[in-house]
Amino acid sequence: MSTPKNPLEMVDRYLQAVRFWLPNTRRQEDLLAELGEDLRSQIEDKEGELGRALDKDEISEILKRCGAPMVVASRLGPKRQLIGPTLYPIYTFVLKMVVLWILVPAFLFIVGLVNLANSNGDWGKAIVATMGGLWSAAFIAAGVITLVFAILERTHAIADIACKWDPSSLPPLEKSERKKSLFQTNCELVFNIFGFVWLLLIPHHPFLVFGPASAFLGIGPIFHDFYLPFVLLAAAVIVRLVVMLARPQWRAFALGSQIAQAVATLVLVNAILNAAGHPSADWHPFVTVANTLRGTDKYTQFVKIAAIVNVSILISFVGTWIGVSIAGSIQTWEFLKYIRKQRISHEPASLQVQ
Amino acid sequence: MCATYYMTNGSTGPNELFENLKLELRRGCLTLAVLTQLRTERYGYTLRKALADDGLEIDEGTLYPLLRRLESQGLLVSQWREEDKRNKRFYRLSPDGEQILGQLLTEWQRINESLNKILQEA
Repeated sequence: MSTPKNPLEMVDRYLQAVRFWLPNTRRQEDLLAELGEDLRSQIEDKEGELGRALDKDEISEILKRCGAPMVVASRLGPKRQLIGPTLYPIYTFVLKMVVLWILVPAFLFIVGLVNLANSNGDWGKAIVATMGGLWSAAFIAAGVITLVFAILERTHAIADIACKWDPSSLPPLEKSERKKSLFQTNCELVFNIFGFVWLLLIPHHPFLVFGPASAFLGIGPIFHDFYLPFVLLAAAVIVRLVVMLARPQWRAFALGSQIAQAVATLVLVNAILNAAGHPSADWHPFVTVANTLRGTDKYTQFVKIAAIVNVSILISFVGTWIGVSIAGSIQTWEFLKYIRKQRISHEPASLQVQ
Repeated sequence: MCATYYMTNGSTGPNELFENLKLELRRGCLTLAVLTQLRTERYGYTLRKALADDGLEIDEGTLYPLLRRLESQGLLVSQWREEDKRNKRFYRLSPDGEQILGQLLTEWQRINESLNKILQEA
């Protein structure tokens, strides 16, 4: 930095540096002129006190006390918020909805699976591609949402709508969480008991699965292999629901056991899908053609029907896997929220202002 | 409540929290002090000096935008005038400002009395 011959020139240089960061408006010029006048008055006062002209260092001290040009400009300049306090809660809500509830599930359960299917066994590459895509999509979505809200902020569109709100349009009161969850648990228990009994009867009464088609279709090998884990899982679900009804206050158990159930279901479905393998010419993992029909005229036709049923069951298992994964993610999110809430409610009271 | 919020979120340390609360406390007081001082016409630097002499320091970056805001709200009137061969902007309270200042001072007295009462009870 060059040393000025006239130390007062530093004030002009300082003002010029502040001006650089300010919009070129009359109001700002006015403020700068006032700031300049203030600084000159300070110098003049100090000179009167000392009985001599100030040197470069003394002027520099006054400017330093005033603050760095950029900081001073930020205080003098117009106060602007990209998204103001009125829109901010809506903005964060929309952002969370789009990123956490749309993009993340879509990438995990649709794009991710497609990438895995096309990866030819290179899972690492598929995961990196999915995560990369998710990052780009989240980045673009966040940018677009921010832009839209910034426009809404400038045009006061939401504020106008908010002014016209009608109290009679408020949604009705929701039923209490406990009542809703008790009703839900009761229904779940009844359906699960029916399901459990149905499951126990299947080995001896295939009619319960195939209906009239049980005359030519039989239960496949996978059903026998995974029958016991299925029965155990169904029994565990009933025990869980009974505990939830007996101890409705055990919220952590309700949430935790739900996740455990989802994980167990996923493991089981995954094992079934692995055991089933890929559809091929002689592929009958879930449903087979009754042995009594071998060698008859219609055997080939029944094999075709069995193949269609097998593929349908395979697709339904894949659907179940996706559904349970989404449900498990939501349940895990609920569980984390619950833990966080519990932790906050247990904060020591001493942190509060007296 | 604010303090509880900051503490439980753990994002603000005690010093920063104190500074934030002090700023909030000062904001309204500064407006009242500036309006009161401007019952007599002054320009920026002398106003700052008068406030500092009474123990209320205010930096340039805070005072001048505050003066602009009060002027745009119709509480102050200002005028550029030459004094000692330099152009200075002089401020004084407008008639509306005088009326509002009277109301604000009454409110201030009421708050002050309540606060004193609360502090004595505590």
